[in-house]
Amino acid sequence: MRSARGLRGLLVGALAALGTTLAGQAPVIPGAPTGQAPAVDLSGYWTPALHEDLMERGPGAELADYGGFPLNEAGRLWALSYDPSRVTLRHHQCEAYVTPYQMRALGNFRIWEERDPYTQRLVAIHLWAQTTEGHRVIWMDGRPQPPAWAPHTFRGFSTGRFVGNALAVTTTHMKNGALRRGNGVPQSDQATLTEFFVRHGDHLTNITVVSDPVYLTEPMVRSSDFARQPVDPGAWLYACDDGEQILDRADDFVPHYLFGKQPFVREFSTRYKIPLAAGLLGAVTMYPELDTRLASATEAEGQALLSPATGRAAETSRALDREPRDGEVHVLPIRDNVYMLVGDGANIVVQTGDQGAFVVDTGEGKLADKVITAIRGLTSKPIQFIANTSFRSEHTGGNARLGDAGQDPSLLGSFFVQAAPRGVTGFFSDPGAHATMMAHVNVQVRMQAANAPAASVPADTYLEDRRRKFHNGDAIEFFYQKDAVTDGDSLIHFRRADVIVAGDIFTTTQYPVIDVKNGGSVKGEIRALNEILKKTVYRHQGEEGTYVVPGHGYLADEHEVVEYRDMVVIVRDRVKAMIDTGATLAQVKAARVTADYDTQYGANTGPWTTDMFVTAVYDSLKSGR
Amino acid sequence: MARSLFAVVVAALLLFSPVSAQRGGRGGPPPSPRGAAPVDLTGQWVSLITEEWRQRQFTGVKGDFGSLNVVLLPPARKTAAGWDPARDAAAGEQCKAYGAAGVMRLPTRVRVSWQDDTALRLETDAGTQTRLFTFGPPQGDGGDWQGLSTASWDYPQAALAGRGFGAAPGGSLKVITTKMKPGYLSRNGVPYSGNAVMTEFFDRFDVPGGDSLLVVTSEIVDPEYLATPYWTSQQFKRETDASRWRPTPCAAR
Repeated sequence: MRSARGLRGLLVGALAALGTTLAGQAPVIPGAPTGQAPAVDLSGYWTPALHEDLMERGPGAELADYGGFPLNEAGRLWALSYDPSRVTLRHHQCEAYVTPYQMRALGNFRIWEERDPYTQRLVAIHLWAQTTEGHRVIWMDGRPQPPAWAPHTFRGFSTGRFVGNALAVTTTHMKNGALRRGNGVPQSDQATLTEFFVRHGDHLTNITVVSDPVYLTEPMVRSSDFARQPVDPGAWLYACDDGEQILDRADDFVPHYLFGKQPFVREFSTRYKIPLAAGLLGAVTMYPELDTRLASATEAEGQALLSPATGRAAETSRALDREPRDGEVHVLPIRDNVYMLVGDGANIVVQTGDQGAFVVDTGEGKLADKVITAIRGLTSKPIQFIANTSFRSEHTGGNARLGDAGQDPSLLGSFFVQAAPRGVTGFFSDPGAHATMMAHVNVQVRMQAANAPAASVPADTYLEDRRRKFHNGDAIEFFYQKDAVTDGDSLIHFRRADVIVAGDIFTTTQYPVIDVKNGGSVKGEIRALNEILKKTVYRHQGEEGTYVVPGHGYLADEHEVVEYRDMVVIVRDRVKAMIDTGATLAQVKAARVTADYDTQYGANTGPWTTDMFVTAVYDSLKSGR
Repeated sequence: MARSLFAVVVAALLLFSPVSAQRGGRGGPPPSPRGAAPVDLTGQWVSLITEEWRQRQFTGVKGDFGSLNVVLLPPARKTAAGWDPARDAAAGEQCKAYGAAGVMRLPTRVRVSWQDDTALRLETDAGTQTRLFTFGPPQGDGGDWQGLSTASWDYPQAALAGRGFGAAPGGSLKVITTKMKPGYLSRNGVPYSGNAVMTEFFDRFDVPGGDSLLVVTSEIVDPEYLATPYWTSQQFKRETDASRWRPTPCAAR
């Protein structure tokens, strides 16, 4: 039997060991990346204290009140062009909120931890927002960010770490959306969000710092307060289905205001007896210097801020380059057995299965061998079909190499092989010995006219509006878009996987390359974008569901397409309005009709500039197309 | 036996508490509040008026309460309805919006410095006000615009951390202000009373890119005028250029 002294000794030893262990390791969880110690517990139910910006966060901000936001010219013009009735359009009705907006929204929040059941390491912190059923996941396990070409979501991709007594969170890959409720202040898909969560008893404060090179001149900082609720408030859902709100509107109608024509622009300044310029001056409105700045503000200055500044060059894109440009081909799984390959010009899509690979577009061809290697990493079957969305070399450059590396077993030994006429060369010969290439007939015509190598020219063509094929267990449909960016464009829809390959009809990186000389038109482009939107279905709150592969840029869904459609429609309307008043092309360009989009899509050099886009829209409209 | 075991446990907890080493020292006098500061709040900071923008950048008209609408009791509305800036100015009370419960919401720059090892000084250029945050017993009788402010360091509340096992890093400045001369929560005459109690937490956050933010989270409890505690948070950005410091006198409007 141990003595009391011996027992005390054991206890001292045990506690000493325990103390040493905890003290030595705190605050870092063993094995966890640095900064993963739970320095603050955010778990529980939280209700926003609406003691700041109540009107904005409820009914919505007043029109043309952009004070306190460091908007650049593009951001200001985007907001001025915005008509709140845009949310009556079907595809805008159920859009969720981007995270900085979500954190300012009404409704309760619920926060909980996710831990590895075996190690108890903190894997993630989850936030559920009542409004929009916004579910955020803040990854705490040190996982890397997705690549630049990965999909964006309203919530974005968040990683967190504890810094001092706060949880610090970085969020990227957000969709574009509203930075403020109701009056058009935009946030682009290029925004990065830094957040801090700090808790003082039952008072939680969330600080958001939005950096957005597209629309802001400096970071936008806001803080929101939440009160802890001891019991479940019980209201967590936010059902939304879109529907027809206003009947008989044309597909190409997007509510917006022409530059300088916002009819309610003076309401705010008049009601509160402040200068018109006060809400339009951008970053200076956030600082104590505003009073001295306004002392010199004139009515003319305020008036000038309603339209693009003239006499200056167009802005250029400040968006992240989505191309890896590392000489490698990168594979992004989309859904089921469909993949996006990035790195060799236009995006490539590969479908695999029991049959051979079905490939849509083949890139520039500079990395064709690596594309083939990547496809062989996805399937042991040959490349059986190649489909082209366009004749452009960025989409067809790898045709010959990929075709040569492939095989169409459905033709070997068939009637077609027997019937192949003597003397026929290229891919019109030897059917089955290479992949079968498919496209609209105008792709074939354009490539032959350009003296493209015969081995790269699709031989299996279609002429009318639809081509269909069941392959690898999926229904694949081609939809001809007769005059979008060219006269040979196809949308290709994998119906079961629900993936639409858009080609250059839709990109996330640039203005549409409307090639008027090769049959493209702005009306056809809008029609084609709407055709995509007729086929998409979102999974939840306006996102995910049908994926859309752009010709260039990141994997998208209908939200990116509808924003792109809106942009083309709005620019068209501005150009058309000027044409209707007799404006020349030079006058249209001088008016900077794309000023609110140039920091996203603009280019003053390279193969497709803003100037070329505006010219294409002008020429297209002048020719009635 | 049980008592002696308890003593052993307590002794072991104290022995292996790194908090004592980090925040109080072992075997020596506790560090001064300045020496124990878990965060450096000193420097010049400029307010970022990104919320309640119109109400804070411009003096609202009488009865325009903004978001304060949700917390005001009828006596507050009645008092605000009688707001008369000319009368305030004539009475020498043009600083009513620059009291402790109002001044941090105004467009201003603040300078934070250590007055000595036991008190932090916060100056504003708007209204040229000075707040003194005293660690330990409050000094003075209060009754002026800035009242009496008692400061303490508020450490993280992580499990075990700060309670004997391990110290979580970081912390906040906690300031409780009482005995303020009645003033305005907003420049258009929304009142707070002499019984108001304001609790503030000062946190500093360093943002990628080099900016540092000072976020002041405040709760004002005023049974005379407010139906519920009034919660706001104000953000300031650190400035290295001191030349923008622009002391101005109080203005009633």
